[in-house]
Amino acid sequence: MKEYEFTLKFSLQDTSSNPENYIDSLNACGCDDALVGIGRTGRIALDFTRESMSAWKAISSALADVKKAIPDAKLIEATPDFVGLTDVAELLGFTRQNMRKLMVTNGAEFPMPVHEGKPALWHLATVLLWLKERKTYKNNIQETLVEIAKANMQINLAKEIRSMGLESTMDIDGLIAKA
Amino acid sequence: MPRKAHPKQEVEDALVYAEQNGWRIKVGGAHAWGKIYCPFNDKECRCGEFCIASIWSTPKNPGNHARQICRVVNNCIRNKQASDEEED
Repeated sequence: MKEYEFTLKFSLQDTSSNPENYIDSLNACGCDDALVGIGRTGRIALDFTRESMSAWKAISSALADVKKAIPDAKLIEATPDFVGLTDVAELLGFTRQNMRKLMVTNGAEFPMPVHEGKPALWHLATVLLWLKERKTYKNNIQETLVEIAKANMQINLAKEIRSMGLESTMDIDGLIAKA
Repeated sequence: MPRKAHPKQEVEDALVYAEQNGWRIKVGGAHAWGKIYCPFNDKECRCGEFCIASIWSTPKNPGNHARQICRVVNNCIRNKQASDEEED
């Protein structure tokens, strides 16, 4: 068994409801391994440290527990997944300058961002996997973090595609170059 | 009046750390032991949902719960500093 750290953020169906009302049912449903954030009306966030066989099992069981406790809670995001350079630097204990230098000096070899803007955003998993390939950084990358980043990416992307409805069945393979 | 101490020493230590960083602590609740409130709990606050966090009286793993508390406190301070230095 390994310990996985991740955060799930939810929107409550009744956006005016006080998230505090759900504390007891979250406890009864097995979320006593999470710190529950209730600082915003209509929102609830859970910072989990969950023991499990795999990151996927940790996250899917956590999602199931929350669904049991708050049936109409809608997942906003599983984190860490979407990250800027500062977030990556913080997660790995690098300086932001160091991270930026890595990106600039590696040019096109550095993973492509999901969004190129200010700030630019990446999927954490793509950056971690790229760093893992490089001798200098191999030892800085925790395997559990890579697993979590991959699982979160899967969850977040699946959620986005579902929100598109039927259009997502459109064949876009022919329109974009394969990665 | 001194506040009630948390029954788990590790969690209590984390709560003291939160207090040293200006967080307010309110005891009370059913399964929850109490709540911690960020000192910058306003529109500008970067803690988001964790601006108010609920503390369990019997967390599954007290050591992990303590670490979660410290992480929230640290994130808050760090983000405050970062916002002063931003952007390139």
